[in-house]
Amino acid sequence: MRSGAGLGRLCSTPAIIAFIAIAMALLPLIAPPFWVTLANYIGLYTIVALGLVLLTGVAGQTSFGQAAFVGLGAYTSAWLSTAHGVSPWIALAAGLALTFVVALALGFITLRMRGHFLPLATIAWGLSIFFLFGNLEFLGGHTGMAGIPALSIGTIELKDERRMCWLIWLVVVAALWTMHNVLDSRQGRAIRALKGRLEMAEAFGVDGARLKIVVFVYAALLACISGWLYAHLQRFVNPTPFGINQGIEYLFMAVVGGAGSVLGALVGATIITLLKQYLQDALPALLGTSGNFEIVVFGLIVIVLLQRTRDGLWPWIDRLLPHAKPPPVPDAAPLAARVQPAAASTLLEVRAARKAFGGLVAVNDLTFALACGEIVGLIGPNGAGKTTTFALLSGALAPTSGDVRFRGHSIAGAAPYRIAARGIGRTFQHVKLVPRMSVLDNVALGAHLRGRAGFLRAALRLDRREEARVRAEAARALARCGLAEFVHAEAQNLALGQQRIVEIARALAADPVLLLLDEPAAGLRFHEKEALAALLRSLRAGGMTVLLVEHDMAFVMGLADRLIVMDFGEKLAEGVPAAIQSDPAVLEAYLGGAPT
Amino acid sequence: MDLSIAALLAQDGITNGAIYALLALALVMVFAVTRVILVPSGELLTIGALTLAAFDQGHVPGTVRLVAGAAVLAGVIEAVRRARRGEGRRALAGAALWAGIPLALAALAAWMGPRKLPLAAEVAMALALTGALGPLTWKIVFEPIADASVLVLLIVAVAVHFVLTGLALYFFGAEGSRTPPFSSASFDIGALRVSVQSLLVLATSALAIAALALFFGRTLYGKALHATSVNRLGARLCGISPDFAGALSFALAAVLCAFCGVLIGPITTLYYDSGFIISLKGFVGAIIGGLASYPLAAAGSLFVGLIEAFSSFWASAYKEVIVFTLIIPVLLWRSLVTHHHEEDE
Amino acid sequence: MKRGLNVALAVAIAAAASAARADITIGVTLSATGPAASLGIPERNTFELLPQSIDGQKINWVILDDASDTTKAVTNTRKLITEDKADVIIGSTVTPNSLAMVDVVADAKLPMISMAASGRIVDPSNPRTYWVFKTPQSDTLMADAIAVSMKANGVRTMGYIGFADAYGESWLAEMRNSLKTAGIEIVAAEKYNRNDTSVTGQVLKLIAAHPDAILIGASGTPAATPQKELVARGYKGKIYQTHGVANADFLRVVGKDGNGTLLPSGPMLVYEQLPDSNPLKKSDATYVTQYEKRFGTRSTFGGHAWDAWQLLAQAIPKALAKAKPGTPEFRAALRDGLETANVVGVHGVFVMTPHDHNGLDNRGRVMVKIEDGKWVLQK
Repeated sequence: MRSGAGLGRLCSTPAIIAFIAIAMALLPLIAPPFWVTLANYIGLYTIVALGLVLLTGVAGQTSFGQAAFVGLGAYTSAWLSTAHGVSPWIALAAGLALTFVVALALGFITLRMRGHFLPLATIAWGLSIFFLFGNLEFLGGHTGMAGIPALSIGTIELKDERRMCWLIWLVVVAALWTMHNVLDSRQGRAIRALKGRLEMAEAFGVDGARLKIVVFVYAALLACISGWLYAHLQRFVNPTPFGINQGIEYLFMAVVGGAGSVLGALVGATIITLLKQYLQDALPALLGTSGNFEIVVFGLIVIVLLQRTRDGLWPWIDRLLPHAKPPPVPDAAPLAARVQPAAASTLLEVRAARKAFGGLVAVNDLTFALACGEIVGLIGPNGAGKTTTFALLSGALAPTSGDVRFRGHSIAGAAPYRIAARGIGRTFQHVKLVPRMSVLDNVALGAHLRGRAGFLRAALRLDRREEARVRAEAARALARCGLAEFVHAEAQNLALGQQRIVEIARALAADPVLLLLDEPAAGLRFHEKEALAALLRSLRAGGMTVLLVEHDMAFVMGLADRLIVMDFGEKLAEGVPAAIQSDPAVLEAYLGGAPT
Repeated sequence: MDLSIAALLAQDGITNGAIYALLALALVMVFAVTRVILVPSGELLTIGALTLAAFDQGHVPGTVRLVAGAAVLAGVIEAVRRARRGEGRRALAGAALWAGIPLALAALAAWMGPRKLPLAAEVAMALALTGALGPLTWKIVFEPIADASVLVLLIVAVAVHFVLTGLALYFFGAEGSRTPPFSSASFDIGALRVSVQSLLVLATSALAIAALALFFGRTLYGKALHATSVNRLGARLCGISPDFAGALSFALAAVLCAFCGVLIGPITTLYYDSGFIISLKGFVGAIIGGLASYPLAAAGSLFVGLIEAFSSFWASAYKEVIVFTLIIPVLLWRSLVTHHHEEDE
Repeated sequence: MKRGLNVALAVAIAAAASAARADITIGVTLSATGPAASLGIPERNTFELLPQSIDGQKINWVILDDASDTTKAVTNTRKLITEDKADVIIGSTVTPNSLAMVDVVADAKLPMISMAASGRIVDPSNPRTYWVFKTPQSDTLMADAIAVSMKANGVRTMGYIGFADAYGESWLAEMRNSLKTAGIEIVAAEKYNRNDTSVTGQVLKLIAAHPDAILIGASGTPAATPQKELVARGYKGKIYQTHGVANADFLRVVGKDGNGTLLPSGPMLVYEQLPDSNPLKKSDATYVTQYEKRFGTRSTFGGHAWDAWQLLAQAIPKALAKAKPGTPEFRAALRDGLETANVVGVHGVFVMTPHDHNGLDNRGRVMVKIEDGKWVLQK
């Protein structure tokens, strides 16, 4: 048991990265020179693929254009160091600065695109930059620039491939380690939610548009460093290694290796490079030299590989490795909590809010108010406009007219992440958890705004104290909701009812003043509903305000202090449950009296 | 630039744009049914044209061997799959169907290779052979992973593009070919000389666009086919097997792509690796149409063809830079006005 | 003491004997796939015709494909040097790849023979080219031939359309130099991509500039695309092509639109029409007959590979006399042998000197005209 745990720890990502560091420190000393050559290219490709793991695999933004950034790094240094005699190290800084500016500009324009528009846009600017390299005479045109100096550190010249190998792999290991740290942090949770869960992430204070750009720039900078190393390893640059074909190949590496995991980049770069090398040696012996079947066989192998392991190779390897059971979450000092406003004061006012989609009016001049510390149910038949109302309150939609005021400030039309910062937490009608992330991390994402750690602190592991407090907070929220035993489970493995409760725990982790619950009882069993009702009552006792949309009448009648009934986008009635139950207009709407 | 040059450039741009539009249609159709972005559409185009060129020169095209090999593989895969499901009897029938029809085609093509039949017969055979590659690719490559993520399907499609490019180099060599035109006639409108071949390109493109828009937009069967990409189970309930829908869309797309090749084969030289950049431009058109709308995809493709023609006149060195930089704002605009669903993993 | 000496002697002799048995390894990297495949394939075919031994010494041929990609060319070169212990490297097919390899062979100190066009590869002012030789005629030599022909034909203005790659770029640069001395002006210069389906825009622009002649700086069948378009748009001036088109496929694709086109070429393209007194006629016949027997019609690009071997065939015996294969001394001797080579190849007579690592002169080029789908030597 104990040795199993030890072995498991040895197979953790940081341990594997440490092992790689040691192996690559020794490799140049003992391996044949050609191994070093291959290791150098694998290292260069890993750095770029790692950026793609973050950008494409984790954040869901497919890019075919990384090779262009590699080219920016390579050409900047090549030109500065040959034409102007600038030190390559200063040229690196210049290359990074240029890449930063270009990536920021491109990201600003293209990352607003969604669906397939983004990948095509990356192809478009990737091709544009490639042809630009070929047409600029001072960059050597299509023929290229020769005579690029080797790197040197102090008086040590890194002309020898072995020495370059150490430098390249130093960068690779640093990139792997920092990337692993970033993904295991406050920002990492937010990035993982970008893929298909943007609306949810924004509801917990993540500025999705900004975070996408940060991720994009980060990936571009990694590519730029790879290009800089390439230029001084090769000591010759021309446009072909920075074209669209190479851009596709980087994406290949990430996907084949496993685009969702840090080590996938390394596995992908290694497999693709070695496979091509092996095929070049092996195929002529098998098939004769009359044709070139390398690309054919290579393509076939990739097809079969992805048919067998569509998440890529690393997740498949990872399943075979022993894993240590994660330890219980250690307790830590609570995060600073919000001061709940005085009971019975007005918390939320909706004034004549209206939402029209073209000619269809989904919410029609709706007016109501919530007082602090009450539970209010928003009910009505299907299509009455409840979910649209929720979207207006949480910022997912902006009202066509009217106003929404929260604690005295207008929040109508504000971005969701700004509304979240004011203390509104919510759940979703269709559960929106990050499926591959642990329950604990999903809930910790709720506490996004209660932490401060940025990329740099996370990358260098300087965020651990804050992170411990966030995790403890998340564990407490889960315990309060009765899900303590599932802390380390993957969210996708929970039953749907449990996933709904996780959503509530996540909202609680945000320490909200107002909780918006969209059909929290749907799919829950009887005793689960009772537990949920008890939880909501105890929250009310602590001063929290709850607005819930619910179809389960027994549940909402027994729980809510007041009910608001909507029909056809308008408020039909408002009052205590007993009064609503006997309201003729409500009965008409529910029991299907034909409108006269 | 005077008016006559502008007219010539417009004619050139529209002819090329029409080809991109046809490819865009194939891409939209395959994506709408299977969520696969058909990257190898360009290779199907070149294989179609080069197959015809081989017939024209009296050779047996390498496509024959490719189709025969793929047919055997597909037959085996189908037999194994059905046998595993316990459909012993139908295993044989399935295998015979998947291997038999393409093998018969290949045999016929091998027979007519050196015989120099009339152009129409050669065109029909080139279309049939290349068209057979569509469903065979679906069966061998995509059917087993039909429910994978769009990204994985895309990467696999790129791998298919590699395989087909490599094979095309082996079968057809590195040098290019032209095919005989359907008609070498031309006539003058004012200063503008219009070739019948390029009119043919335009007419067939317009016809194909209209036909596809009608089929998928107006007929129940077409609508149901479209639905398979959104909901495989739902389509099955409507009586459409998603596997059959996939094979059908791949077959239609492959014939369409090969037809593009036959149409432009006489106008331009095609090489074993011409396909990628052509399909990329078709892809631009398809994306401008949101991978859903046939008329918009066609309009986008014409737009690409026109910018290309005019930028190759104004600044030929920067042609690609201009084309691909100009489409970025268009993409941005299309992205902002298109309604997106967040895609689940 | 004496016994120790004997042992040492015995070891030395044994070592020498094993070294004597060491084979000569010739590493080749060429572009048999990718954009330059139409050049690389005849080169690869040619290597299959070459002997497996010389002077009783076995030759290991290691032939790799670099897919027209510089990174791959450098990786291949490093592999040939460190894994296969190559004594000499032949390659690559295209200029950027060859330029990228120069530093690698200079560091490893072994000779390299490039099969690419640009004179920059063997630029004598660059000390890194000490180890580098090349067999194809430099663009300068060919560009001069075109300039001379244009001047003789009374051409005063020229339009240029070429590949948007290293080939097209290098030709335009060389033509600028050659035309300056001939007093001919370049009035329009356009680019196109090898795979472009249409060059209408470029051709209209060229025609609008009314040049007396147009040079197409492209290779293989893609060079026919602008030519056919020029003819279709009614261009009446002279059309020149480069030696890059010298294969049968070009004639097939260009068809009757190629009539009257002039191009400079290595003599092997039309060796049958050379006078019997020309020393090249015999060597061309030897190569072309062998090649056409196995692989169909000739391509001048294959000739560059053949010439690389002819240079080695002269240099290897000299080097073998000085050192054993696999040693640094052998590689240095091989380089020295190449630098003093004087060989009748198929593309010309190579007279290498320390200042000229290409060694071809005017005998390495002829002007050829396309008439009715045939290459016709211009006297």
